[in-house]
Amino acid sequence: MSGAAAAVLRGVSYRYPERTAFALRGIDWTIEAGSFVVVTGPSGSGKSTLLRCLNGLVPHFSGGELGGQALVAGLDTREHGPRVLSQHVGFVFQDPEAQLVTTRVDDELAFGMEQRGVPPLTMRKRVEEVLDLLGIADLRQREVTTLSGGERQRVAVAAALALQPSILVLDEPTSQLDPWGAESVLAALSRLNEELGLTIVLAEHRLERVMARADVLRYLPDPGMLGFEGNLRDVMVKMEADFLPPLVQIARDRGWRPLPLTIKEGRAAVRRDRAAGWEPPSLVDSSRPSGAPVPRVEAARWTEVRAEHYEVLSGLSTGRSVHTSTHRPITVVRVSAGFNGTTVLSDIDLEAGPGEVIALMGRNGSGKTTLLRLLTGMLRPTRGRITLFGQDIAALDPAEIGQWAGYVPQNPGSLLFAETLRDELAFTRAHHPRSTVNSAALMARLGLGDLLLTHPRDLSGGERQRAALAAILIGDPPLLLLDEPTRGMDGRQKRILAGLLRDLRSEGKTIFLATHDIELVATTSTRVILLGGGRIVADGTPRQVLSGSLTYATQVNKLFGGEYITVADVYTAPHSQSWREHARLADADGT
Amino acid sequence: MSRTLDPRAWLVWMLAASLPALIGRNPFVLVATLLAVLGARAAWGTAPRVASWRVVVRLAVWFAAIAVLFNLLTAHAGDRVIAELPAHIPIIGGILTVNALVYGLLSGLALVTLVLIGTTVAAVLDWTSLLRLLPPRLTLLAVAGSVAWAMVPQTIAAYAEIREAQLGRGHRTRGVRGFVPLLVPLLAGGLERSFLLAEALEARGFGAQPATPPPWSRGQSILTGCGLTAATIGAYLLAVGQPLAAIVLVLAGSVAFAIGSRESRSALQIQRTRYREIVWARPEWIITGAAAVVLAVEIAVLAVDPAAFAYDPYPSLAAPPVNLPLLAALGFLLAPALVTP
Repeated sequence: MSGAAAAVLRGVSYRYPERTAFALRGIDWTIEAGSFVVVTGPSGSGKSTLLRCLNGLVPHFSGGELGGQALVAGLDTREHGPRVLSQHVGFVFQDPEAQLVTTRVDDELAFGMEQRGVPPLTMRKRVEEVLDLLGIADLRQREVTTLSGGERQRVAVAAALALQPSILVLDEPTSQLDPWGAESVLAALSRLNEELGLTIVLAEHRLERVMARADVLRYLPDPGMLGFEGNLRDVMVKMEADFLPPLVQIARDRGWRPLPLTIKEGRAAVRRDRAAGWEPPSLVDSSRPSGAPVPRVEAARWTEVRAEHYEVLSGLSTGRSVHTSTHRPITVVRVSAGFNGTTVLSDIDLEAGPGEVIALMGRNGSGKTTLLRLLTGMLRPTRGRITLFGQDIAALDPAEIGQWAGYVPQNPGSLLFAETLRDELAFTRAHHPRSTVNSAALMARLGLGDLLLTHPRDLSGGERQRAALAAILIGDPPLLLLDEPTRGMDGRQKRILAGLLRDLRSEGKTIFLATHDIELVATTSTRVILLGGGRIVADGTPRQVLSGSLTYATQVNKLFGGEYITVADVYTAPHSQSWREHARLADADGT
Repeated sequence: MSRTLDPRAWLVWMLAASLPALIGRNPFVLVATLLAVLGARAAWGTAPRVASWRVVVRLAVWFAAIAVLFNLLTAHAGDRVIAELPAHIPIIGGILTVNALVYGLLSGLALVTLVLIGTTVAAVLDWTSLLRLLPPRLTLLAVAGSVAWAMVPQTIAAYAEIREAQLGRGHRTRGVRGFVPLLVPLLAGGLERSFLLAEALEARGFGAQPATPPPWSRGQSILTGCGLTAATIGAYLLAVGQPLAAIVLVLAGSVAFAIGSRESRSALQIQRTRYREIVWARPEWIITGAAAVVLAVEIAVLAVDPAAFAYDPYPSLAAPPVNLPLLAALGFLLAPALVTP
């Protein structure tokens, strides 16, 4: 770090138009030139707002009331808006799709320079430079619609860098990427920071991805609160456990000092503990459920409760009777599928029983969403057969399949359209006349009890995700299909979702979960299916699939090896209050 | 991906290919045009966006089939009677004729040909380059247009996702109200995406102006406005069957617009630059030259033998006229197949 300030905020407060509460209050913050700063905290705590103060989007674009002073590259953001500040501050947004404005990669990189009137010769030189810096030269002439999420974000970073800013600000740039895509973006950022001295300010929920790279951590606890900052070890000691990576949770539990920031440092601490005679508890005798196969609800017992209900339902919609007592919820036999002439899945065989939470994992494009769409009947197999409670779904249309299989898409905005959440539930219920689920009880269970009369678009990201889930659960489908349900969620919201999934599992629902979130999979699923090259490459319990994996191992597994995959696996004694709290809330379900 | 062609070459080709289907129903002319367009389309079929327009072509075929049926059931004119429906049946009651069937088929053929031309050009055209051909004074408009174009695939994908999500909820789209659960999230999501895009544009300096553009002079405004008006009236005249007057007006309007929106010397102070210079090379010459030949022959035939484009199967079915120079010239529309990427 050079010691000079890249940006200085003095007593910055901000309130959005027509809001009474402050989104930011009294922020004093100096960003050293050449530093790598991470901003973290719960959803809605003001991270994005704070970042937007750095390039003048707040208040020039958003309106509202700004107090205090923000000096960026020596310019007062009150007097200079984003158009001027774009020369000094590059900004990368969360959504890789929404921020690319042209159709071709090289046009995208040149866009900002064209707006600035940079001479064509200089422009072409800089395009070449940023292509090389980000390692995306092979993408130069690609259409942006053909890029993966990771590639798009690297293009967005390159486009921001082409204007040669002194600060690069990134708002959760990896939240929608798979682990490899995220790593490619973060590795590029590290290189820019270390080799070019570029100042980087990055908002991020998943600290495990960035804590080895950052110099400074700023924590915003809740909307309008001051929070605190410092080096990562000092800040993480004081943070709420929900927002900490497993490595740091264990370190705090074990009293490791200094806190390890990398797996390598963590392993050294484990070796020290083991040398001192400490061992994590044996998993053989453990009664903990996390990651372990959950005893399946016996099909016959489960269907005793439901058989009549679903037979009536099936009779209503199709005129055919479905004998749920003798068939598994899902059977997939030698199914192949694809679209636009491309085969995405080949020869998939799969059975799912009641009470199973099946995590579908694999890199972007491996076929997770395609498999979910097959199960909903939205996509028809090119070969093979899928049965739902013994009935071939080729004979059913997607609306009929929806009676049994509830699908929650990645983007909850695709589902929610009504004026209030109550209307939203009523809409689903009108299509599921036999459902006996109580709306008020369901909303209370999802933590949305006070929001029945709220417009879905007024909800926060996590609330919207749960509202979409409620809009499906109100129909009481025995099969639940969730596509990337933790996208953009903070640690606290994920804990609530994990608890809910465990509850649904214990009620006998079959749940499919397409996700990149390894920690969520470790704590909630009973089975993991790994997709690769259009096929199932692994199918087993989370311990079998995640343990020892080079890319899918959890932090706990990387630390302790064996079949340890969750924090609860290595929990031994209540060393600290924070640990007890975390253990009770996050992992103690069913123990 | 290889170099995309200058969009002006494609526009000239599109104009030459569209004219026969716009102004007449001569089956020989329509079939010759269709075959040439199919040839060019097949040669450029590997362009990444061709597949995405297939659904539009399928829709056009459906509409054409409906048009054939509609004409057969409602025209009740001609000398070759196939059957007769009781006269008391409203609208469709009366004689069904081969003449009506032929006219319906030719109308459908013209529709499908036009859609194939439009979708082929839409798939291969570099829209960003096209919009950047606008005069520098209209740069902001051009950028806004290209950004809006870039949002089209996202909007199509969002609609598909919403439709699937609501279908899985048990919702079937029936009647106008059935579209509410589809259109409300589409509009709301579109607004959110637009907001994010606007933020991204601001953050990247969009609209930053190194120099203030001079105001439009009164003369420039009048000339530009007259040009646009003339071109619009020309398009209308083409639609109502006045091709010669239409062509004259469109050409005159385009010239007036180009002169009116030209920059004065002081306007060149606007320093916005372009990364990708449009290259006019051999492929562009070949396509434009071939299309120009077709256009010249079309205009000449229109002047001396306008009936060569036309065919009317009413009141009696007769052999359509054949104009060999015109049919031969339409073969030049295959030129894009010679310069495939």
